[in-house]
Amino acid sequence: MPLACDVRLPMGLLGFERIKDYLLVSNPVEEPFRRLRVKDNPSLAFVVVEPFLAVPDYRPDIPQPDVEFLGLTQTEDALVYSVVTLHAGQSATINLKGPIVINRNTGIGKQVIIANAANYSVQHPLPEAEAAA
Amino acid sequence: MLILSRKPGESIVIDGCIHLKIVRVEGEVVKVGISAPADVPVHRLEVYEEIQRSNQQALTSRSGPLPKLPLRRKAAAAGLKTQAGAGHLPPT
Repeated sequence: MPLACDVRLPMGLLGFERIKDYLLVSNPVEEPFRRLRVKDNPSLAFVVVEPFLAVPDYRPDIPQPDVEFLGLTQTEDALVYSVVTLHAGQSATINLKGPIVINRNTGIGKQVIIANAANYSVQHPLPEAEAAA
Repeated sequence: MLILSRKPGESIVIDGCIHLKIVRVEGEVVKVGISAPADVPVHRLEVYEEIQRSNQQALTSRSGPLPKLPLRRKAAAAGLKTQAGAGHLPPT
């Protein structure tokens, strides 16, 4: 049974500044992926995933103004998601330079350009399905 | 676009609080020092554009099944102490 929560991105996503209201949908069969669905156009969505699953030592440095904008007072308040790009076949990449950070207490989020973006790729490859076998 | 000529060591001030200083010119590279209030984000334009392009590529209208990628919640649990399920977000 899919579970959905309201997420508001007051500044939108880069390139989609006008779309501010989303539903974060988690469906057990799609775990650990989730869909950030455009609220007033449910056919459009971004697939997201927690980057730490793919890159356990990922250390996004969130700039102080963004921390304040999101009202984050402790690490535990932050949900961090990376936007997934699905390519042809079974391959997919995640954007580690611009994670979506959401304050779990308020549902307010922002796509943050991390201060250490230079250390990470905007198209970090996820392990392919074949590797699992 | 306003175009100003500056020499190394000279500055430009924007809105009274953002200072851009031409620190050095080395061949084709211009080193610019920026001092701005903490709430003014400063980024290289390329990073912005890169993320924009990536978002545009990522937007999907496909509702079919996602590829089965070998990412398992358990496997990376150590790095995930702060990441609880989305269900913990309150409805707004």
